[in-house]
Amino acid sequence: MRDRLELAVPGAVVGAVGGLVAGVLAAVVGQPYAWAATVSLGLAVPLGVFGGVLGLLLGSGRVRMGVFAPVALFWLVGFPLARLVGEVFTGAVLGGRVLPDDVVGFLAYQGIVSFGWSLGFLWLHERIAPHWLDRVRSGNPLAQRWFERYAAHARVLRAARR
Amino acid sequence: MDTPNPPGQLSGGDATPGTVAPSPSSERVWRAGRLEPMPIRKLPDAPPSVHVLGPTVFLVALGVGMGESYMWPRLVLLFGPEIRWLFLIGVTLQAVVMLEMARYAMATGESIFFGAARVFKPIMWFFFTVAILVYIWPGHLSAGAAALEEMTGVPWTVSACVGLILVGVVFSLAKVIYNLLENVLSLLIGLLVVGTAVVAAMVGTWSDVVSTITGMFHFGYFPSEALSATWFPIVVGSIAFAGPSGMQQMWYTLHLRDSGAGMGAHIPAVRGLRHAGEEEQMPSRGFMFDTDDADEMRKWKGWRRWVTFDALLLFWGVTMLVTVSFTVLAQAASRQSPNVKALLESGEREAALNAMSDSFAAAGGPALGMVFLGFIALIGLNATLGLFDSFSRGQADMTYHFVRGAKRFRMSHLYAGFLWGVIVFGILVLLFGPADGPGAILDVLAFLSTFAMGAYCVVLLLVNNRMLPKPIRPRLATNVIIGFGAVFYLGMLLYSLVRFGVVVS
Repeated sequence: MRDRLELAVPGAVVGAVGGLVAGVLAAVVGQPYAWAATVSLGLAVPLGVFGGVLGLLLGSGRVRMGVFAPVALFWLVGFPLARLVGEVFTGAVLGGRVLPDDVVGFLAYQGIVSFGWSLGFLWLHERIAPHWLDRVRSGNPLAQRWFERYAAHARVLRAARR
Repeated sequence: MDTPNPPGQLSGGDATPGTVAPSPSSERVWRAGRLEPMPIRKLPDAPPSVHVLGPTVFLVALGVGMGESYMWPRLVLLFGPEIRWLFLIGVTLQAVVMLEMARYAMATGESIFFGAARVFKPIMWFFFTVAILVYIWPGHLSAGAAALEEMTGVPWTVSACVGLILVGVVFSLAKVIYNLLENVLSLLIGLLVVGTAVVAAMVGTWSDVVSTITGMFHFGYFPSEALSATWFPIVVGSIAFAGPSGMQQMWYTLHLRDSGAGMGAHIPAVRGLRHAGEEEQMPSRGFMFDTDDADEMRKWKGWRRWVTFDALLLFWGVTMLVTVSFTVLAQAASRQSPNVKALLESGEREAALNAMSDSFAAAGGPALGMVFLGFIALIGLNATLGLFDSFSRGQADMTYHFVRGAKRFRMSHLYAGFLWGVIVFGILVLLFGPADGPGAILDVLAFLSTFAMGAYCVVLLLVNNRMLPKPIRPRLATNVIIGFGAVFYLGMLLYSLVRFGVVVS
């Protein structure tokens, strides 16, 4: 179980970072911490959870690494749901409306934005994942296998340069 | 102009004597123009998977700038989303230009500047001069640094000067500059893309994004107000600034080479000043692969697929995403505060960006306003990092190959010379002079920047159709698009000048 959870870390981190951006900046510029924390949590937790699930799919080889289409399909569903959870959470904690006025329109719009999110997610994930796997692979055979796939790719690129 | 080999044929023997690289007389070469022939080498295999990271990150860093975050949102607010069909044409044209730049660089390992010199050396000197005239002014720092001032209170000239010195020090200490910069820019752009998506998701609405996207397909829409002396030059400038502008596409060929794409694998990468001693000897020309060999052509197709993916998804996709997002943000801001539209119309860039930030703060909480300013600062930082590296890389490449006696130095020394030259000049201008350049020559600089884009389309046609073996030359359709690009940029520029007496803005 722990081995699998470790595979989910890079995806969860990238997902959570996207959600934390707004809250962290709010805290830096002196906004009430409670407000900043609520917005951050509402976005970072669901995006982090979905990011972690996608990391597991990538790590287990069910989704091909470094390729855009399957990641975009995953987030086409995951991003709107994560946003909806965030809206409901923020509305419930801070008071005010819990659901958006037009839920279908809201989800459709978030679906379009999800393509941009997918691109950024994949971009950052491909930067972070190899470093993380290198750290944990000694005690984690699943991470070792995934790392090997990155290493094989890097070897081919290095051979091409020679 | 010298005639290259008969189409599809490589010749043996007589490489120019006195060159740095050893060239046995029996070696097979590809002759292109009057300059030294290119020895035949093996083309490396293309990356096994369509991997998401490539040198396009530089083009995105340079290209996603004020055009995407300010100029196009401004035009949409003034003339409606239908005006965006011109953006679609501009960015798509740039994606094709990118693919054609890559064709020469990946086939030879030479920059497009070297290719231009093979056609006619003065063309290369023209670009060398334009780069110095247009890109030594540090005005491009102002938008990002001003956003930082708004966030932190630190005067923008201070952060700009500190930033300049930091860039110089980091690039001088780096072992391989390309690797360092690709890592840094990838993270910054990744953050920008992820963050922009989150903010757009929070601020925008379904109708905003629908009108923004459908607006891209109103081909031929051109309101009469846009056809005036005030607005036409701005529209032309915005089209030129859709994606990479000026010489940024030409510099991309150098990044492609340093990333080891195609025949660039045979050229050593530029190192930071501290590691200049470890740099391998730079060959005096590029290399060609055997285009008569079916296996080599198979590998070539692999490289073309790789770069096409880069061009379409990363370059076209990210540029579109950022512009659509910022246009949605601008529409949301103008609904919140009519002041935004007035400021955009008057061309007060910093004031308009600050007003947009304020309106986001009012709509979605103070953090959103800060996030918006953070993005403007991030875009400015990306562009500055990319620009300083690219300028120094391009000038060093031309100097090394074409200035007599320059080969005494290593490429890394020349790179560092241009880098620190532009940094010191930039600091002096920031402290004592006009950041965008002397007022009297601003029009000339704007003209040159757009003229260079029309000129490089012509250069691409000449270089790719005359200097490459026939099997890897562009198809007719591609040539027509690049030819259209030349007419488009030069035609609009001259029309603006002749009809309204104004160059692009």
